[in-house]
Amino acid sequence: MARIQSTIQTGSSEFRGFYKHNKELAKELRERQHQARHDRPQKDIDRVVNQGKCMPRDRLHKLLDPRTPFLEFSTLAANMAYDGDAPGAGCITGIGVVNGHEVIIHANDSTIKGGAWYPLTVKKIVRCLDIAIENRLPVIHLCDSAGGFLPMQSELFPDKYMAGRMFRNQCILSKLNVKQLALVFGHCTAGGAYIPALSDYSVIVRGTGAVFLAGPPLVKAATGEIVTADELGGCDLHTQISGTCDYPAASEDEAIAIGREIVEQWERTPKWSIQRDAVEEPYYDPDELYGVIPDDIKRPFEMREVIARIVDGSRFHEYQPVYGKTLVCGYANIWGYKIGILANNGVLFNDSALKGAHFIELCNQNNTPLLFLQNITGYMVGRDYEAQGITKDGAKMIMAQVGAHVPKFTVMCHGSFGAGNYGMCGRAYDGRFLFSWPNHQIGIMGGEQAANTLAEVKMRQLERRGEEIQQDTLEAVYQQTLKAYKHQMSAYYATSELWDDGLLDPIDTRNTLGIAISASLNAPLGEQGYGIYRF
Amino acid sequence: MEFTFELNGEEHRIGLITRKPRLTLSVDGRVHHVSDVILKNKDQLLLTIDGHRHTVWRARGDDHIHLKIGPGSFTLKYKDPLQVAQQSTDGDDVLKADMPGVVVSVHCEGKTPVVSGDILMVIESMKMQINIVAPRDGIIEAVQVGVDQTFEKGASLISLEVEN
Amino acid sequence: MFDSVLIANRGEIACRIIRTARRLGLRTIAIYHHQDRRAPHVELADEAHIIEADVPTAAYLDIGQIINIAGNASASCVHPGYGFLSENAEFAAAVEATKMTFIGPQPEIIRLMGDKNQSREFAQQTNVPTAPSARQKGDLDALLADATRLGFPLLIKAVAGGGGKGMSIVHNEADLVDCARTASSEAARYFADGRIYAERYIERGRHIEVQILGDGKGDAIHLFERECSVQRRFQKIIEESPATSLDHELRCRICETAVNMAKNANYRNAGTVEFIVAPDGEFYFLETNTRLQVEHPVTELVCGVDLVEAQFRIAATGELPWHQEDIRQSGHAIECRIYCEESDGTFLPAVGTVKVLNIPDVPGIRFDGGIALNQTITAAFDPMAGKLICHGTNRNAAINLCERGLNEIVLLGVNNNIDYLRGILKHEAFKAGRLHTEFIKEHTSTLIPDGPNDSEQTALLIAAALDVDNIRTLIFDTPEPYASIGDWQN
Repeated sequence: MARIQSTIQTGSSEFRGFYKHNKELAKELRERQHQARHDRPQKDIDRVVNQGKCMPRDRLHKLLDPRTPFLEFSTLAANMAYDGDAPGAGCITGIGVVNGHEVIIHANDSTIKGGAWYPLTVKKIVRCLDIAIENRLPVIHLCDSAGGFLPMQSELFPDKYMAGRMFRNQCILSKLNVKQLALVFGHCTAGGAYIPALSDYSVIVRGTGAVFLAGPPLVKAATGEIVTADELGGCDLHTQISGTCDYPAASEDEAIAIGREIVEQWERTPKWSIQRDAVEEPYYDPDELYGVIPDDIKRPFEMREVIARIVDGSRFHEYQPVYGKTLVCGYANIWGYKIGILANNGVLFNDSALKGAHFIELCNQNNTPLLFLQNITGYMVGRDYEAQGITKDGAKMIMAQVGAHVPKFTVMCHGSFGAGNYGMCGRAYDGRFLFSWPNHQIGIMGGEQAANTLAEVKMRQLERRGEEIQQDTLEAVYQQTLKAYKHQMSAYYATSELWDDGLLDPIDTRNTLGIAISASLNAPLGEQGYGIYRF
Repeated sequence: MEFTFELNGEEHRIGLITRKPRLTLSVDGRVHHVSDVILKNKDQLLLTIDGHRHTVWRARGDDHIHLKIGPGSFTLKYKDPLQVAQQSTDGDDVLKADMPGVVVSVHCEGKTPVVSGDILMVIESMKMQINIVAPRDGIIEAVQVGVDQTFEKGASLISLEVEN
Repeated sequence: MFDSVLIANRGEIACRIIRTARRLGLRTIAIYHHQDRRAPHVELADEAHIIEADVPTAAYLDIGQIINIAGNASASCVHPGYGFLSENAEFAAAVEATKMTFIGPQPEIIRLMGDKNQSREFAQQTNVPTAPSARQKGDLDALLADATRLGFPLLIKAVAGGGGKGMSIVHNEADLVDCARTASSEAARYFADGRIYAERYIERGRHIEVQILGDGKGDAIHLFERECSVQRRFQKIIEESPATSLDHELRCRICETAVNMAKNANYRNAGTVEFIVAPDGEFYFLETNTRLQVEHPVTELVCGVDLVEAQFRIAATGELPWHQEDIRQSGHAIECRIYCEESDGTFLPAVGTVKVLNIPDVPGIRFDGGIALNQTITAAFDPMAGKLICHGTNRNAAINLCERGLNEIVLLGVNNNIDYLRGILKHEAFKAGRLHTEFIKEHTSTLIPDGPNDSEQTALLIAAALDVDNIRTLIFDTPEPYASIGDWQN
């Protein structure tokens, strides 16, 4: 495969301007992630230490194999919720390696409100287990939670994809022969008690670990019985008498050592194999990505320049290079894995939509995973295009994309607006993983567009009522809408709400995708078959 | 994560620094490059450490690894991380009764050293005689029950001095 | 020559005998206890028969079973090796009562030399110098009184004993009673005879012994001397021939004395007369061993003979294979006994399985081994694994060869004394030849083997790490791309 020929001028003022802007964004991202991961009020750290427990990230470090990467999801979940009281939504999820096995970890962070479940915590854990199911990744639960955050119970308890979904997912995992190990470091209360109970293996730390459907306060309230947490559901009770937990451990270190030894017993299930070639670093420096991405959401950029700084050797085999040019399609390798890339170079037209659908089918038949690099404001609009069937063609692209049985990955590189999000495998389309860059914005339409539209609507409304059209009123509508949109369109908002699996510094994209692709190969391919294309 | 080995009574720690592009390991804090590892005939390990080639004969015993380098032979013991974690626990300091019973005979006393596996006491419970054995090497702190004394489930029978 | 032989022994000596017997064209018959089923002598022999006993060593002492097997296997002769039944007169007699030949002395001679009191008397009668001693004539107290009169330090020995067992040194009167009691009960345990006697202990003496061969009709020759002063707890560790820096005239006198004693006794077949040579040049008779000794190879290498072959020939023909003037010493030989023992200073027997056994193939280095790969070494049997014997043109050459042999020999899986032996050979006092029976005691603190140097220690630890499955997996089997990405987090 030939190398992409880069045409950007790294010395130009435009490049340097973009570079400075994006480097700042990356720096801000790293700082905010660092804070979310590590900054805690001293009293919360002290409380955990006084309980005789370890920091959650220390547990993780000891559990994972030395010198192996950890791909953490949604570090900034809930960063714009709950007044910032729950960084990371109070839990840590991610993919790592334990005794040579690829696993997904779900760990409570008891330095945040005792590890209590906020609504977004539940969403993050359910997402973690969904990833486990879709990719057949064994799960290790590091349990240490006070249970549901009661003041917000209506948002975390009753609905289909709320707390109950966690335990349902655990059962499905078990049914699919995907292993689960629970290491009980702290409390597993109420629903949380089901986590070790539904895991294949559980280890519980004496003194600090406890599993009970109701904790001591609730038990006292319910029956008057006075009992300590350890007596009620501690290590010795559950390992010697009730059989709810399998292994007692006298310390956290012992629990982790036992856990690792348990994982050592698991069979290495064969992964689905796709073509894998020798790995080559990108020829162009990934650091240059900062200078490729514009500082303005409305400005377009050349996606081939992005591809060149992510894929092996910057090599790319482009499909239909002179047709449907607003969608770049082609094959490349990432960490040796062959994948098919669809990347936006403008608005989607009929030809690019058809090209996309066709390329998706090619990859599907070739058992090649798909990578969608999004920068899309939508499909072309206008009477001519409707007449040519732009809606039909867009529908065909969506149909092809949904019918694909190969793993799909999405990176939000810049904008993701409107229906373009759909065809390019947005969140609703069951991609295995979806990540965003910090410059990313997402909305049903652009902010100004929405603001203009709503101002227009307001004007029509006033006209119909025969009221006077005040410029101020319209201006107010415009500004309010713009403000609201800007707030809810930012990458930080999106990641806060778990509309993605995490924000990435663009230079981390390659490693992230390498791990993501590897993880995805643990699941068999889905069933082949598309719906009906409206031709 | 470091791996602990015992050689001549001393503990040494080995850590993994990098796998690729070169294998480097730390031994008691010092970093070494390791390359060209070849296992010959199942009992000879050839390896290059910091540029020097070594031939090490190796054999695995029950609990130990036997090695010969140069003229000397040595025995090392690998301390499995689980063993290391359990070493520092208090769990084995008090031997308790699993069931109610009576003491048949006592074979140890306070301040005496014992070896893992030594029979410390014989008790009778559910019509069976059971040996209470030392769970680890150590020194008896106290024997809490005497011959012909009955005890309940969970009663402390013998305590060992806490290890440092 | 006989047409077949049953070897009533095991381990190194059984293999040694089988090798010569093979060469002479004899059919070789081995016996073994179940625990010895993987022992090399079983493999080496033409046929092997199992002997039963609860205690493994007892099997090799079961006269009845062994004679039975020999008879059923139509053995023409029985070679007893050393230890076990080799100095059991009853066994020798039982063998001869059948039509088989016993490869060794006459039963009466075995009996005579086996009783230390009687052999001393015999020695005295034949003008062989003996160390002042006290025999037990009446009760223990009388013996102790006599012993005290001998002066301290003295040696308490078992009358029926041998091989360094049942002996202890008493330094002062206060210890005498306890030592005597212990020695007596040990003797009863090992030799079924609790009689003891006391002898003046010669400090810093040299243990010099003479190899003799007799034709049973009054003629005998000697094959010069061996020195076995390097001993620990009365067990020989290193032996050599000739004895270094021994006055030539003294050497001749000692050998003559030994051979005369053999002639006077009408000694038949091989034997060794042991002496202690005091620092002042006086020498005293210790005992006569009526069998082939462990350290016989040093004589073989220096005199250029096969003593096992000599034993077969004497037994078959009744004639000595050589004249005295045919025997010459050439060069110097040293034997190092390799024991399976702990190297932590306790020297207790070690157990384990032989995982790696590699003997260097070097001219001048001979290894008489009694262990095989994958053999389990237990506490059931004597812990000697084999002997490394080196022959050079002079003592330094022999020492160098031994050092090389010990450096290059690989025995892994069971703790052993190879490093300890290297320490002795390296020692300045050994190289200088300042040998005496307290050599080990005198130099104990400086005989500790060196630990590994820094670079070796690092290599050892890394090799050990790479040997642990779990660690190897963590290093080499980490899946891609994780292994290549290494330490990274998004």
